[in-house]
Amino acid sequence: MKYDLVVIGAGPAGMSAAIKAASHGATVAIVDENPAAGGKLLGQLYKEPKTGWWIGREVAKSLEEKVKRLGIDYFPENEVWAIFPQWKVLLNHGEELHTDYILLATGAAEKAIPVPGWTIPGVMSIGAAQVLNNFHRVNPGKRIAIIGIDALSLTVANELKLSGAQVIGIYLPPPDDFLDRISNPQQMIAYLSSLADAAPNHFLKFAGKVTQNEFIQKVSAAFYPYRGMKIWGIPLFLRKSILEIEGDKQAEQIKIAKISRDGLPEMESVKTIQVDCVCISGGLYPLSELASAAGCEFAYINELGGHIPLHSQEMETTQTGIFVAGNITGIEGAKIAMAQGELAGTVVSDRLGLLKSGTAIIKKAQARVEKARENALIKFQPDIEKGRELAVQFWDERT
Amino acid sequence: MRIKKHPILGKLEEKEINITFNGREFAALEGESIAAALLANHIRILSYTEKRQEPRGIYCGIGHCYECRVTVDGERSVRACITTVKDGMRIESQGESPK
Amino acid sequence: MSDKIICRCEEVLLSEIVEAMKTGAQTEKELKLKTRAGMGICQGRTCRPLLEQIISFYTNKKIPQASNLTFSIPVRPLSLSALAHTGKDYKNEN
Ligand SMILES: Cc1cc2nc3c(=O)[nH]c(=O)nc-3n(C[C@H](O)[C@H](O)[C@H](O)COP(=O)(O)OP(=O)(O)OC[C@H]3O[C@@H](n4cnc5c(N)ncnc54)[C@H](O)[C@@H]3O)c2cc1C
Ligand code: FES
Repeated sequence: MKYDLVVIGAGPAGMSAAIKAASHGATVAIVDENPAAGGKLLGQLYKEPKTGWWIGREVAKSLEEKVKRLGIDYFPENEVWAIFPQWKVLLNHGEELHTDYILLATGAAEKAIPVPGWTIPGVMSIGAAQVLNNFHRVNPGKRIAIIGIDALSLTVANELKLSGAQVIGIYLPPPDDFLDRISNPQQMIAYLSSLADAAPNHFLKFAGKVTQNEFIQKVSAAFYPYRGMKIWGIPLFLRKSILEIEGDKQAEQIKIAKISRDGLPEMESVKTIQVDCVCISGGLYPLSELASAAGCEFAYINELGGHIPLHSQEMETTQTGIFVAGNITGIEGAKIAMAQGELAGTVVSDRLGLLKSGTAIIKKAQARVEKARENALIKFQPDIEKGRELAVQFWDERT
Repeated sequence: MRIKKHPILGKLEEKEINITFNGREFAALEGESIAAALLANHIRILSYTEKRQEPRGIYCGIGHCYECRVTVDGERSVRACITTVKDGMRIESQGESPK
Repeated sequence: MSDKIICRCEEVLLSEIVEAMKTGAQTEKELKLKTRAGMGICQGRTCRPLLEQIISFYTNKKIPQASNLTFSIPVRPLSLSALAHTGKDYKNEN
């Protein structure tokens, strides 16, 4: 089958791009291994300060309806396992899609935090808990502990509570030589208080405010109370770590310890607590294996979450005809992913000769990405702006 | 474990269907993943590892980790987290449990 | 502190990785060959960022500004039936 554009990934970026290109008259295919369209939108659920509830599955549904209305060929439950030059996209059920333009919108994967016992059933990533809870409507557990303190874990904690599960606490990861960044209370507090200014939801704003407030900021991490603080009824422990998860056939208990001011566990403080589920929140990284297999050049930019395919302001990679949009270009929120998708869809439409005043329309689409960034409430990476600058710089240096 | 009523998302109204897991029959809801259906029935162990024969279950929930591999109607290594249940589906765990 | 698994698929422990590094493995590729970490069915999707951090920590080197990441085709494990379907001759590890 031959298409003008083949989009890989039916998340917000991929669907927005497909819709844009198809609405300009391109023939488009979109492939996703998941049976449901929406990517990471499916689990999202929170109240935004100005616009009310953001229900990801509904946003996904409305995008999917547009995809169908525009006659886009949608291949759910199909994995792309290879891309061959110029260009052939191979699906695991045997289809071969031919095209001059590919958009990689494969999103992000979660970074792990290895903890002794983290392979026991009942221990899962925070994203798994989110999808089970908000999309499939099954509580991942009844008594849940969370490892890792960040925007995502705080948001999901609130979602779990909202649906009736008990979140017994949000804890630091075990101190680890190679992971000290996220198990250090001091940096944690600085990060959390930075959330308060533009938090995407009331809960995060509240968490940020708590750490911004009164004595915590003034007297530093060393004095954050060991007993933690409750944020909307969920205990947030900035000075306790989960050292180990135990259980024979499934997670049954966690061992927690106080963390001293220099970031070490106080072994005489170790306590055991019953749980039936532990969620791990280690952050996100761009999922770019297909770009790599297709021969795109990369840069490692920590501020963006990891290795990203180098790309131009028009979202094209170093491989002619292969474009990227969404989290594969760096970890940001859903609205930015959508704007990036629209930009990529616009550029491809222009290349196909479907636009009259292409340059102007592309400029507008670029401006909309910038606008989405300015309005972005959630910030997954602390130094995202610096990361973006580096990405542009790396691209310019090579051309 | 099912969230029958949700303050924002409302009531669950999906149709009930039947699946079997390791020969036993369980109820599932139309449209959900195998992993979600089993979890709703309190089943967490989906496979056992080769080397240490340790139990494993859902980890990533979105198809990345392959920890949820099960055999579905005879087809091996299907990811339970991104495969939708169907009425009459026969599901089996993979790997050998330590006896 | 207790040992822990780093590569879930191949069941490789942190201690095994550190040991392999002590006995000469310095890169992701060498570690893979020695311990099989990152060689399992998920193709490193879970442990790869960890391996990078561990190597960077123990070798005192920054995570490389690699201009080419090494992922090869197929990026997903393929079943034999899928291969038969495509009629191509690609090697499949799992
Ligand atoms: C757990 C989690 C929670 C998040 N919560 C929020 C939030 O609350 N608010 C927010 O704004 N952002 C959130 N994000 C960020 C989120 O990634 C973005 O909102 C947005 O979904 C990114 O869109 P995307 O289109 O780039 O990728 P995704 O939404 O990740 O979609 C990528 C799609 O590509 C598919 N895919 C990947 N590889 C292949 C392949 N080889 N073959 C076939 N299909 C493939 C996947 O199945 C997936 O459906 C969250 C991210 C995660 C991981
Ligand atoms: S839980 Fe990770 S692939 Fe299914």
